[in-house]
Amino acid sequence: MSVLNPFSKLPGLNTANILLVESEEQFQQSLADALVEETAATVNVRLAKSLPLPLENEEDRPRIDLVAFIINLTSELSFQSAEASLKFLDPGYFLGKVCFMVTNARNTAVPTERLDAVRKLAASLHCPLLFAEDQTPDGVTNATERLLSILKVAAGLVPMTTALYLSSLTRCTVPPDIDQPSFD
Amino acid sequence: MPPGADTPEMERHQNSVTRTPLNSVVVQRRSKSKSYRLSYRSCLGATSRLCFTPALTARRLNTSRRAPKSHNITEKVNPEKLALLVKTEWQLSYVSPLYQFRHTQLKSYSRQLSAFIAAEKQQGLAVEVEGPQKTFRVSFSLVQGMAESDDDAETVLIQIHSKPLFARQDEPQRPVWSGWLTCINGNPDYLRSLPKDFICLPLFGSSGAEALTTLVKSWFQQFFDCCFGPLEISHTCLQWLMALWTNCHTESSIQHLKMIWTLPVVPPLQVTYTVNSEDAWELWSSVRKEKEKENKAGEMAKDEEENSIDIEEVTGFMQGLKSHFYRHFRLDLSAGSLDQVSTALGSAKYKGRIKISNSRYMITTLTLLTECALLKMPI
Repeated sequence: MSVLNPFSKLPGLNTANILLVESEEQFQQSLADALVEETAATVNVRLAKSLPLPLENEEDRPRIDLVAFIINLTSELSFQSAEASLKFLDPGYFLGKVCFMVTNARNTAVPTERLDAVRKLAASLHCPLLFAEDQTPDGVTNATERLLSILKVAAGLVPMTTALYLSSLTRCTVPPDIDQPSFD
Repeated sequence: MPPGADTPEMERHQNSVTRTPLNSVVVQRRSKSKSYRLSYRSCLGATSRLCFTPALTARRLNTSRRAPKSHNITEKVNPEKLALLVKTEWQLSYVSPLYQFRHTQLKSYSRQLSAFIAAEKQQGLAVEVEGPQKTFRVSFSLVQGMAESDDDAETVLIQIHSKPLFARQDEPQRPVWSGWLTCINGNPDYLRSLPKDFICLPLFGSSGAEALTTLVKSWFQQFFDCCFGPLEISHTCLQWLMALWTNCHTESSIQHLKMIWTLPVVPPLQVTYTVNSEDAWELWSSVRKEKEKENKAGEMAKDEEENSIDIEEVTGFMQGLKSHFYRHFRLDLSAGSLDQVSTALGSAKYKGRIKISNSRYMITTLTLLTECALLKMPI
């Protein structure tokens, strides 16, 4: 089983590598275009539909600093695919090098249980949960900025801050009464 | 200006500035009865004020509910009225509590609503496309016997009759529009927390011309200071309806279980998935048996266990249907959305349309929908 390992390769100079995992393969395209515009560091964006990643590229692939799972809440399949991909990550990634990004959270077609399930998943893994709006260019820009701020820390480009420290500040929390039904 | 005259003004000024601290707002909302659109959450206990506001989380249906028993509802309810409610497709909305709605004044409400519709017609708001000679007669009536608990208000049925355009003098008026307001097994904490003058009938169903529906809604909004909004039957709610109807198969056959899914491909793909009733029943009972086996390991009172259905059983049932479809067609329905569920007992559409074909399970269906309506009501 090919597990993605965070520390098995050497980092590049002033480089940050991010892996966007999305089952629909839509939002990751526009995010990638916006992410490579960054000028302060060289940002390499790798796209994937799900993990595990193909073995053929194992040698050429650089060290991945941040794995971002993009979940579209209107589709159950998206969430299931992201959940299944988590198994192929080395536990070292969960010290601040994984984050979840959720789209379409405001859509009325989304049952509340699905968002609760994503929150519980993110909270149990101590990862941040970002909400993004993928239909407008402004939304893409905002999502890019937030991802970049986490990516720079995860790649070690920000002095005095490590990914683990940032994740302890930004991790998703679940209110204690999340399982309580509204009615008795 | 004498200095003595200034100081009392300044003092008064100071008093008025310091009189409204921000953190007493929550207390005010609970004790004063001025807010007409009462928040559902304001009735939750003191813990909701002290720790996290449940605003983000208290938005889910019950995770387990009692299995529906077939109610021989014709004993309690007038069968003619019942016949009006079944076998019609209703468009659902939620309603916030009505202010000073009295069940004893239904006749006067009928007159007022007829006058309102006539006045709106005069103003030129198009009500019908046929000639201006149509007169509308409104009748409000009570459907007694449907309320399940003591806190529920009685169901109100509204009908609008009119004569067709080229009718003879003695031809009776036919109903062109019907609607009803109901509350079945509403949350007792919430119902008891409402101030005295408010009646809660959160579920509104209408069938007929859209223009008449808007007129009736605007009349209610003007007279009873409530607000209406569209009620969608969410994915979870549709799953519940599917499971509850399938559960009734032994008593009255569902004949088939039909689901309509939409898949987000270009061009959009619509899948109609019909399951034979016997197969659906077998799948459902096997899901229930598994749950029973798990429960026997723990200790639960036997009659509780037989009667209650958990959300895990419902999702397990749905998962079984989806994996069967995947095995045959290699198409994962999780990627799409469920639009409609129908059986011989009724049909429900995501857009908020419901049809109950069998009066025996009406109470259970309406309980579920009342819960949905109470949840959707805005703050």
